[in-house]
Amino acid sequence: MTDALLRIEDLTVTYGGRSLLGLRRSGVDAVKAATLTIGAGETLGLVGESGSGKSSIANALLGLVPASAGRMMFNNTDLAALRDGYPPEVRRQIQAVFQDPYSSLNPSMTVEQIVTEPLKIHTGLDPAARRDRAEDLLRLVGLAPTHLGRYPNEFSGGQRQRIAIAAALALQPKLIVLDEPVSALDVSTQNQIINLLYERRDATGMSYLLIAHDLALVHHISDRIAVMYLGHIVEEGPADRVYHAPAHPYTRALLDAVPLLDPARQRARRAARRSAPVSDLPRAATGGCPYRNRCPLAMPRCRAETPPVLPVAGGGTARCFLAESDIAAHPARPEGVTAP
Amino acid sequence: MKLSHVRPSTLAVVIPSVAVLATLLICALFAEWLAPYDPLQQNLMDMLQGPSAEHWLGTDDLGRDVLSRMIHGSRIAVIAAAEATGLAVLIGVPVGLFIGYRGGWWDWVTMRLVEAIVSIPGIMVAIVIIAILGTGLHRAMFALGILYSTAFLRLARSVVLTEREEVYVRSARVIGASPSRILVRHIFLNIAPPLIVQVTLTVGAVLLAEAGLSFIGIGVQPPQASWGTMLNTAAAYMELNAFLAVPPGLAIVATVLSVNLLGDVLRDSIGRGIRLPEATPVHVPASAPARSRSSEPMTPRADDALLVDGLTVTVSPKGGQPVPVVTDMSFRIGRGETLGLVGESGSGKTVTGLALMGLIGAGGRIAGGRVLLDGTDLLSLPASGLEAARGSDIAMVFQDPTTSLNPAFTVGSQIAEVLRVKQGLSRRAARDRTVELIDRVGIPRPAERADAYPHELSGGMAQRIAIARALSCGPKLLIADEPTTALDVTVQQEILDLFRDLQDDFGMAMLFVTHDLAVAADICDRIAVMYCGEIVETASVDRLFSHPRHPYTSGLLSAMPHGASGTPPLPVIPGTVPPPGSWPPGCRFASRCAHADAACAAPVPLTTAEVPGQQVRCVHAAALTLEAAQ
Repeated sequence: MTDALLRIEDLTVTYGGRSLLGLRRSGVDAVKAATLTIGAGETLGLVGESGSGKSSIANALLGLVPASAGRMMFNNTDLAALRDGYPPEVRRQIQAVFQDPYSSLNPSMTVEQIVTEPLKIHTGLDPAARRDRAEDLLRLVGLAPTHLGRYPNEFSGGQRQRIAIAAALALQPKLIVLDEPVSALDVSTQNQIINLLYERRDATGMSYLLIAHDLALVHHISDRIAVMYLGHIVEEGPADRVYHAPAHPYTRALLDAVPLLDPARQRARRAARRSAPVSDLPRAATGGCPYRNRCPLAMPRCRAETPPVLPVAGGGTARCFLAESDIAAHPARPEGVTAP
Repeated sequence: MKLSHVRPSTLAVVIPSVAVLATLLICALFAEWLAPYDPLQQNLMDMLQGPSAEHWLGTDDLGRDVLSRMIHGSRIAVIAAAEATGLAVLIGVPVGLFIGYRGGWWDWVTMRLVEAIVSIPGIMVAIVIIAILGTGLHRAMFALGILYSTAFLRLARSVVLTEREEVYVRSARVIGASPSRILVRHIFLNIAPPLIVQVTLTVGAVLLAEAGLSFIGIGVQPPQASWGTMLNTAAAYMELNAFLAVPPGLAIVATVLSVNLLGDVLRDSIGRGIRLPEATPVHVPASAPARSRSSEPMTPRADDALLVDGLTVTVSPKGGQPVPVVTDMSFRIGRGETLGLVGESGSGKTVTGLALMGLIGAGGRIAGGRVLLDGTDLLSLPASGLEAARGSDIAMVFQDPTTSLNPAFTVGSQIAEVLRVKQGLSRRAARDRTVELIDRVGIPRPAERADAYPHELSGGMAQRIAIARALSCGPKLLIADEPTTALDVTVQQEILDLFRDLQDDFGMAMLFVTHDLAVAADICDRIAVMYCGEIVETASVDRLFSHPRHPYTSGLLSAMPHGASGTPPLPVIPGTVPPPGSWPPGCRFASRCAHADAACAAPVPLTTAEVPGQQVRCVHAAALTLEAAQ
């Protein structure tokens, strides 16, 4: 892809490599050689369960944790090589909205202070111009300029997330990292925020890295979806293909586990699977395919070799030997998920 | 802080405190004009006199006027407090901020030094510093300033350590704020409330320490008047004139108390508190709570495991009027049946579950209604009766298994404890039954796992243990409060399967509290949808999803991620959930409802819709065409 805004190549993030007393310990790889691409104006949904490393990719991209290997090419700049923090011209182009709107806003700052803070740091605007800009930003996210003087605790969760989005939009960034932006919100407000994000993206042409655990939600606003399992990106591809014809058994398991709104189909699905006792095998398999201990389709080969990144019909890739053999052997879509 | 917003009880503290401190300040500033005599003027003819018309507070051992010395002493008190406290803040806060944010060796070395200082009695440290610097007021205050700076240093450091992990600090780093800006603009602001308290405590401590140092003769030097030197004099002449100790003693006590009380008020007034509802509370008649609004009183049936009738719960915010959080709550659960209680945050679903267990927290009160478990009204039971029922007849599984299990005990012992207390099993029998239960909830190697501590188990395993504990005494009713919300989606599926399996075996009724309609669709037989403290719709699970009759239910269904189809804009319910205390008197959903009109302004009862078993709280229910789940 020539117009890629961000190209992450073989990114590895390691935690706990050294301790305070200088004693060396072997670190834990939260992200293992991840490769991802986000085009300009594109949304990449990054999906995985807790501990899959999706937030570590976000933190590395934001410069909050160092990358231990690999490259993060953003507009011809390798972010992974910027060890001493990002220069302002890079910083202002990558912004973030975090999961918990109750802790992501400083309780002691007014909305105006929160929204104008990026402008103070990065622009030479005078206070009046900053205030004008803050008023515009609040209108853009569906709040009123009269909210500027208030403190975060006077707002509901959805409104706080709007304030966080206004602050992220202040510098007109090229990329916003959305780390579980709606999972702390009520169902009835979630879609309001998703619509707002979508509308802003269409208006400005910026890109999103959307991190979430809910494939169904990610599918709605992503152009591409990547699925992570224990630090590995096991599948990647166009959103519709990944959602309707998953190539990796783990993606399939994630989709099958999402409860459906249809009780009858839900019962059929329950009857189809036998409730087995929990597997006693460790979640992470050492050597071979990392998913093989939980995979219903594991083959002897999965123990011996690590599956390479293989192309999938319909676009994208999967790290699974099944993608190599016969793609048509998989049903076109997971049981119980209807096409939009 | 506007005075009109201050509660009377607060004013009763503020006015005297301000008066005392204002008097102190005026005395300190205008001592020369206010004092009737020269504080150093001796008159040996009039020594050790009690209060009189010439000397209102009497005279001391050298015949000096006590009132004049008190007034001049207040100047020393103000200077002392300002110097020592100011120095302590100026040294302690910046150093604490720096080492807290920087960490590493700076932090380690400084903290060891601080620990060395605080491990020695404070007055000893002060004496050592004074021994080096020499005596006198300013040197003594310098010594105290250094001594008390350790408290500010540790305070600032601890605030930085907690705040630097906050998401808003991460946000500031993403914006590109420099470390010094993050410290000053973002973290320092949040030090204010504890800092104010620490300042007031320090002012009090400095006044006492000044008196103490002067008392032992190394602070303010005679003949200069300070409250401490005056106490020193009083102690020497205690037997001749006991009254001498009263004026300085009272002055010190009143000043310290005023500063501390005012500090507390200041800290509370800093705008970080929880917002209290401002709107008028929903009208709930105190005598017959909401009875008039529910048109169908519940009559007990033989197959009811649980019958809840007209339950009303109120919560009293600190110093405020009781606010209803659950009103007119009526539902039944048959034996072996699962009822889903579905609602968004603030809908009252969790409070309902806790109310059934008799576990509503401080400030909460069950204002009316009946809770019949197998025909017994739990609300009329004495506390001991409810305690006996809890754990054996009703059990509960909470959202976060890692916090609902005690980290200090093995999981097996936590199950065995319930069996021994509730069923009187022997140690051996309880252990055997525990292993059986752990096996039953699908955990491999149960005997081995019984000896594990909660942190050694994954979230899914820990939740299985919590379920085993809840089921250990064969409860008639199991309340599960968001039991899968903290779990990954694949683990959630396993736990939901387990609930179904166990219900087939144990036959208990289940109240399944969740915010996720899809989870409810998976596990429940019937669903009650809650909004703003009341049930707005209840129906069998198939009926609810295929024919919702309340606009809120329909809105929720179409807003679910997999309910909605296609690309944005996704369907939304406009507006936000009003918090308790600002619910409208009529239909509580009206402000967000596309079908609302004048008829919705009056309270709406829960009435049976066209199908038996489906109840709706909407005046337009029969007329509306609503979207169902897809």
